[in-house]
Amino acid sequence: MPIERNFFKAVFTFITRQQSLSMLFILLIMWVVLAFLSPYFLTINNIFEITLQSAVIALIAAGESFVIFSGGIDLSVGSVFAFSAIIGGLGLMATQNIFVSLLASLGGGLFAGFCNGAAIVKLKIPPFVATLGMMGIARGLALILSRGIPIYGLPREYMWIGQGRVFGIVPVPTIIVLILFTVMFFILRNTRFGRFTYALGSNAEATRLSGVKIPPVMLGIYMISGAFAAVAAVIESARLGTMQPASGSGYELLAIGSVFIGGASIYGGEGNIFASLIGALIVTTIRNGLNILGVSAFYQYVVNGLIIIFAVAADQSRRAR
Amino acid sequence: MPDLLLMENICKSFFGIPVLKNVSFRLRHGEVHVLLGENGAGKSTLIKILSGAYTLDSGKIFLEGREIDMTNYNPQIASRMGIATIYQNFHLVPHLTVAENISLATFPVSRMGFINWPKVRAFAEQALQKVQLQVDPNTKVKNLTMSQQQMLEIAIALVQKAKIIIMDEPTAAISRRETETLFQIIRQIKTQGVGIIYISHKLEEIREIGDTITILRDGEQVGTMTVHEVNMDQVVNLMTGKEIRTDQRIARNLRTQEIFRCVHLSAVGKFDDVSFSARDGEILGLTGLVGAGKTELARAIFGVDHFEQGEIFVRGVRVHHNTPRAMVEAGVGYIPEDRDTSGLCLNRPIRDNITIVSHAKSRNFGLNLRQDNQAAQLFIRRLQIRTDSLERQVKYLSGGNKQKVILAKWFQAQCQFLILDEPTIGIDVGARQEIYRLIHDFVRDEGRGVLFISSDLSEVLNIADRILVMVRGRITAELFPDGLTKQELLTYCLGLRNSSPTG
Repeated sequence: MPIERNFFKAVFTFITRQQSLSMLFILLIMWVVLAFLSPYFLTINNIFEITLQSAVIALIAAGESFVIFSGGIDLSVGSVFAFSAIIGGLGLMATQNIFVSLLASLGGGLFAGFCNGAAIVKLKIPPFVATLGMMGIARGLALILSRGIPIYGLPREYMWIGQGRVFGIVPVPTIIVLILFTVMFFILRNTRFGRFTYALGSNAEATRLSGVKIPPVMLGIYMISGAFAAVAAVIESARLGTMQPASGSGYELLAIGSVFIGGASIYGGEGNIFASLIGALIVTTIRNGLNILGVSAFYQYVVNGLIIIFAVAADQSRRAR
Repeated sequence: MPDLLLMENICKSFFGIPVLKNVSFRLRHGEVHVLLGENGAGKSTLIKILSGAYTLDSGKIFLEGREIDMTNYNPQIASRMGIATIYQNFHLVPHLTVAENISLATFPVSRMGFINWPKVRAFAEQALQKVQLQVDPNTKVKNLTMSQQQMLEIAIALVQKAKIIIMDEPTAAISRRETETLFQIIRQIKTQGVGIIYISHKLEEIREIGDTITILRDGEQVGTMTVHEVNMDQVVNLMTGKEIRTDQRIARNLRTQEIFRCVHLSAVGKFDDVSFSARDGEILGLTGLVGAGKTELARAIFGVDHFEQGEIFVRGVRVHHNTPRAMVEAGVGYIPEDRDTSGLCLNRPIRDNITIVSHAKSRNFGLNLRQDNQAAQLFIRRLQIRTDSLERQVKYLSGGNKQKVILAKWFQAQCQFLILDEPTIGIDVGARQEIYRLIHDFVRDEGRGVLFISSDLSEVLNIADRILVMVRGRITAELFPDGLTKQELLTYCLGLRNSSPTG
């Protein structure tokens, strides 16, 4: 399966297409305005802070993108985030081996995603309900397994994943984001699985009547969502040097908001993953900007809620035209 | 006293195609006026104009001598003026009780603004009395039989002081005994001066209950007469008109190889003991009136719905799993009646829609986008799908072009037996001819066959090599179009004649 030369061109056109382009523009305007409002904003440290902060949200949003493109929604990502962090932490404490820990985290995310997918396919419950249930279950398991106590004392090699710099300047999480987004863009565009993800979101009945086996596609979608929550959890754990059973709460709101800001349709079948990345950058910039301007963190929840509402309202008005 | 209803010179077109041409219709107090016509003759369009679902292009409607202002006419106004439609229990809320349904529009409330339940119940009992329906007003509507639901709808219409009750195929889903009860009620409400517009295909029923008949054909009113002055041959002739055969069949060799066979297929309440086989190179027509069970049969064969009994063979090999997936793998394709809701991914590109079936059958992980584009381009050109780009979302295409995209996806996947359910419905005349041509080209290649389902008799006569007629869930005739007239075909569809099918 050769990667044609057009691939990189397509990456470029997707990034610059209408909705994404206007969002990119809004992002730049936000940066310029914040730079004027606060001398701290355009400092090297702060810019990296934004890319680091956005890395976590962006990765969750990457998984959430698959779910939303397929016409579903995954509310459990915040809890699965904490669950896989704790699983990884327990693995690390038991073996002192980083790779075991990473595999344990990833396995935890994949397992939670598998359960979501299985509940939707086998028990025939809507994604909203299945993942709402998982939201409670995964959070509870994270608290039970950790006895409610954060895990400290991560080895330096582990922390490198969140704090390291390649060539002494580019943060490792930023590189992970770029690589994984490119891979996922490729999967959505150049694999049958990616096609079926969009087709499922566009018209599940027509997709089924075309002979597509829906269950494996559905399982794959939710497992990807769970896996990305796990990767995001690893990065945040590494960055903060601790695994917290209460972490990740409210991240589902930020991730879903990022995908909708990127122009995905709430009905599925439309959207692209790099637009979700821009969405994540916008969400993080707003948070960061409010911090720098000294606005209470409590307001950020209000702002995030408003963002989701306006992003979807914009989608509806585009649709009505 | 003026007529209860007078519709004068009603005209209506859809997308420039006239479906009603200067139709006039008169209904007197206490009259049962039967509307007759083939599928697509304009009956339901006329009814929908009267009930406010469609707006008319020109013409006048008078209710008891007063002209209705048609500019702001809508279903709410129609029902307020006393025009009620009994249509497949559309107006009932299944999860509410009988009493609640009866009072739905006008719940009696107490001075505090709360619902006055004793009054609701009394009101319901009074209404049920009118149609002699003996059910507990506290029963949920979903637990009633079809016939009881119908009676309930009539009761609601009467409570709302309907002057005109429109009944569209009221006996299609109820038993003979229940039909008797229905007729009794109709006779009773006639005496109260209510006028009834009755649509039915069952000619014997029309004799029994009707007073007057109006026949529509191709949007024109071709005759109005009283029931006792008609004979049935005359009615059939008026319905079909003078026949113009524009034969679409192209001479070709029918091969003898069997490509598809189903044996003793049954699904309770849908179809019963259906057996037939289709040959290589054959266009097998399946026709029957609306509601005969054609779509149900097609969906069951393709595995969309389940059937209780029977077997399906493709090229002599039994297909064990009754799922769309298994049928696609066996080489069967299905084009559903409703393109937009079950045939297409509307907000996906044309390319993705055309290639989805072959990707479903493939076992690769990746897909070659360049090959995909070439395949899509090939079919866009071959089927003359009018679009500026293969990336265009399908929702922007016209009905005919959408249908071509669906055909393309099965052609591209090398499908061998294609089931087409009403493939030309809602498609303009020009595009129809193209669809016919594409179907012909498809079966010309070795090893291909088509089951062509349509309620349009002329269409079936013109395209099919052999015709199966379905009446009330059973295949009652197997006919060959040579020398067969549309009148004869209609008599088979109406169930007036049978021929034993040789499956």
